[in-house]
Amino acid sequence: MDTSNTPPATATPPVEDDRVWKAGRLDPMPIRKLPDAPPSVHIVGPTVFLVALGVGIGESYMWPRLVLLFGPEIRWLFLIGVTLQAVVMLEMARYAMATGESIFSGAARVFKPLMWFFFIVAIAVYIWPGHLSAGAAAFEQITGIPWIITAIAGLVLVGVVFSLAKVIYNLLENVLSLLIGALVLGTAVIAAMVGSWGDVADTITGMFAIGYLPSEALSAAWFPVIVGACAFAGPSGMQQMWYTLHLRDSGAGMGAHIPKVRGLRHAGEEEEMPARGFMFDTDDPAEMAKWKGWRRWVTFDALLLFWGVTMLVTISFTVIAQSAARLNPGVQTALQQDDREAALGAMSDAVSSAGSSVLGAVFLGFIALIGLNATLGLFDSFSRGQADMTYNFVPGAKKIGMSRLYGIFLWAVIIFGILILLFGPADGPNEILDTLAFLSTFAMGAYCVTLLLVNNRMLPKPIRPRWWSNVIIGFGAVFYLGLLFYCLFAYGVAIG
Amino acid sequence: MMIERQSLELALPGASIGAAAGAMAGGLVLFAGQPIGMAALSALALALPLALFGGVYGLLLGQGVFRPGTFGPTGLFWMAAFPLSRLVQDSLFGTGLTEGVLPFLGYQAMVGLGFAIGFVWLHERLMPHWLVRRAPDNPRAEAVLGIYLQYAHALRARKGGRR
Repeated sequence: MDTSNTPPATATPPVEDDRVWKAGRLDPMPIRKLPDAPPSVHIVGPTVFLVALGVGIGESYMWPRLVLLFGPEIRWLFLIGVTLQAVVMLEMARYAMATGESIFSGAARVFKPLMWFFFIVAIAVYIWPGHLSAGAAAFEQITGIPWIITAIAGLVLVGVVFSLAKVIYNLLENVLSLLIGALVLGTAVIAAMVGSWGDVADTITGMFAIGYLPSEALSAAWFPVIVGACAFAGPSGMQQMWYTLHLRDSGAGMGAHIPKVRGLRHAGEEEEMPARGFMFDTDDPAEMAKWKGWRRWVTFDALLLFWGVTMLVTISFTVIAQSAARLNPGVQTALQQDDREAALGAMSDAVSSAGSSVLGAVFLGFIALIGLNATLGLFDSFSRGQADMTYNFVPGAKKIGMSRLYGIFLWAVIIFGILILLFGPADGPNEILDTLAFLSTFAMGAYCVTLLLVNNRMLPKPIRPRWWSNVIIGFGAVFYLGLLFYCLFAYGVAIG
Repeated sequence: MMIERQSLELALPGASIGAAAGAMAGGLVLFAGQPIGMAALSALALALPLALFGGVYGLLLGQGVFRPGTFGPTGLFWMAAFPLSRLVQDSLFGTGLTEGVLPFLGYQAMVGLGFAIGFVWLHERLMPHWLVRRAPDNPRAEAVLGIYLQYAHALRARKGGRR
């Protein structure tokens, strides 16, 4: 919904309220009114970003691969991973909607070095343009255009588009929405054509084979791959943390009191960004009723859009992979050898031989589309997150302004990306690959701990999470960190 | 006649989405060695029913049976409409229902639920723009636009109340 014509916030006289909510060591949050929740359960929301980021290589490649290698029973781990991520999403939203602050600011309220840890991990993990290669390689197979050209053109395009956009959020939401809409419809149609009740029944019953782990999975070769796939079930790495920035920018909950980030060209029109968020009066029953409305809204997003779409795409891709393996045993071999491009190519060929060459091209088109979604989302989110932390916590950064900081981070990561694509290893130097994979999963365990601290200590009692939610997030911390460290100590490798 | 035309206009976005999804399937149903003409017919056999049901969705939205953006009823609608569309296509140009009709319909109904998510998602993006264009000449479009505007006003009210 285009809100760029909304009158600037300063045009409406602010309703002042002297009360504040003290949270941690940073500035206290002034008490303001919580806006009304959207009147109906409406399918327009910032979850679109999480879906765009989350439906990626884990869903289209890693899990179909594991299913072909170990059977559909392995999918119980996927069910746990995605369900866990849905709860994480709800808890991330709790803090962002109650305060209009990002989870990074929440972390800084608890303990500033915690926030700097995420700042550094984001740079270490997300500056490498390796994630572009799967999508661009798929595009090369369809069109013959060398993947490096597509990848660089894609990078420049992303930079130009985000720099010119008046209000970045609206543009990105519209583009991603159309892409994801097409992806969901297309995946459904493909799955309807190539799959059968038998495939999907296997896939679904496999999800409830809790505890199943075949002996070959418990090996130095495969266990790290399984841990990696668990980390990639749904949004991975820091994507959930960035989701809080999208919530804020879409004006969800108290985010309505915070101005939007603009593109570089329009940075001059920016409204001043407050240094801290806001809180609503949790003792007022009317305000609490509105809060319940917001929670309903985000729960709907988490269950239907996030959980539903992620499940649909993964089940569909798994069904496609299963029928591909039946038709072409080469798929299985390629998967075993961990040659992602060959496996995707073999899957496409198998799909082609079942249908037509057009079908194979459509399959690769979806992989390219997923790559494009991830690229758009990742670069934007990374720059948004780093700009947010820099603006709020680096002395003097406020003079530069949030939108310019966003532009600086965006172009820095793009230029670095192009240089690396031309001259360096796209995934990052081989020597530190393991470390990067480790950090990415470690960040997920760390944000579970951060969430527990932030939501239980920085929010007023009436809006703190319920016990069962804390138990699930605590389980998340143990799940990610436990798998990671077990893998490290038992097999001496980070993740695969 | 005028009223029919006005209703049909409401059906257009949904029908287009259905047709586009069917067309996407165009190449997919080609079975090795089948001539292009046959493939085109097969694509048409899916695009037509999907477009028809998409249009019916728009009409029902205009009648107030569906509320904009809500998922539940739309999900149920496609759980029935999608399998029927596939059944039409498969019985005309398919390989025969090797699994039997019930497993086939059951599977397609499940996929239909996923299809519904994508459908509502896109419909919510396209419909308001289309209504804004048609509202001056079409009272029915204006009425549906009113529902969307209520929502937009509620959104604007909370954005306007910043700080």
